[in-house]
Amino acid sequence: MKIFKREYLILSILAVLGLALLGGCKPEHRFIKKTAFKDTNAIVITFADRVDEAWAKNTANYSIYEKPDPDIKLKIDRVSLSPDKRTVVLAFKEDLNRDQPHILTISEITSGGKSLGTALVKVKKLYFGYLFSILIGAMIIHNFVFTKYLGLCVFFGTSQKKSTAVGMGITFTIVIVFSAMMAWFLYQFVLKPYRLDFLQIVVFIGLVSLSVQAVDTILRKVNPALFKAFGVYLVLVIANCIVIAVPLLLADNEYNGWESLMLAFGAGIGFLIALFLMSSVRERLDLANVPPTYRGLPIAFVVAGLFALAFMGFSGMSIF
Amino acid sequence: MDPVLIKLALGGLAVLGCIGLFFGIGLALAAHKFAVEANPKVEEVLDVLAGAQ
Repeated sequence: MKIFKREYLILSILAVLGLALLGGCKPEHRFIKKTAFKDTNAIVITFADRVDEAWAKNTANYSIYEKPDPDIKLKIDRVSLSPDKRTVVLAFKEDLNRDQPHILTISEITSGGKSLGTALVKVKKLYFGYLFSILIGAMIIHNFVFTKYLGLCVFFGTSQKKSTAVGMGITFTIVIVFSAMMAWFLYQFVLKPYRLDFLQIVVFIGLVSLSVQAVDTILRKVNPALFKAFGVYLVLVIANCIVIAVPLLLADNEYNGWESLMLAFGAGIGFLIALFLMSSVRERLDLANVPPTYRGLPIAFVVAGLFALAFMGFSGMSIF
Repeated sequence: MDPVLIKLALGGLAVLGCIGLFFGIGLALAAHKFAVEANPKVEEVLDVLAGAQ
């Protein structure tokens, strides 16, 4: 019974931590209940109470920019106030780029003749939708193998048989999630505060080999059967470029912990999908009548090219 | 040379050294804790064999 209680304690602590992390996404000002994108070129602001019409209709009270470019203020076309005076719709001349969070400054909010101070609000898409789009993006839309052509040596080396392909994919996913989370932590809390971001490649390579070595050591003792199944692939992960591309990408895009996790997991599963597709085709190619000059790797490259063409069909797709 | 750059370089050396030391000790402890006792005869037999492949 005691062991169960301790597990419950750990679980509840984790749940509280998760909630605290998610809670960081709420609007920053108490009087503003909600901000959201509407259609392609409008933003809706919901206030907690009635606001004064004269204040709300004045476009000079709002200023907005995309988060990466604070210098470029977006032009507000017109402001409309709903009849209950709680919802303001800002319409823009040009379409908004909904992938970027927008920073909206609302100066001197006036309600009932009283000023409530200036609010700085972030307008962005639903957070879970954003996380999901990172996951699907890394997995399929920007598949690392078929659209970025990374990790090709391991990809061709281990895609001859379905069983080895799946084993490699699973090992790879575990290692990449492990090392990307460590890379995110080190980048955000050690490299950036000490202004050592120019050393990121050196540190990330060290982290990858470290996590491979750690997984190797621990797995050898904890689960020898799984260790034997992984065999040589565990060491091969070090030679894969995706495993270094993911930390560099997440450092470049300033992703937070959840986003990094999604990117790493998506990259791992995407590699697994690519390996599985490729190995299925190569198993059938062994039985096909391939011209002697094309047998082996050449036809595999041709097939990979065809896969890349097929994956181009996903490009430009956006979810949420 | 600019003293800021020298400070940055020395700081970098110290930080990376600390990271390396920390993870090195971690790995060493892990290797110690999860040590697998290998049969020494395996090595001896492998040494005697030709081992070209």
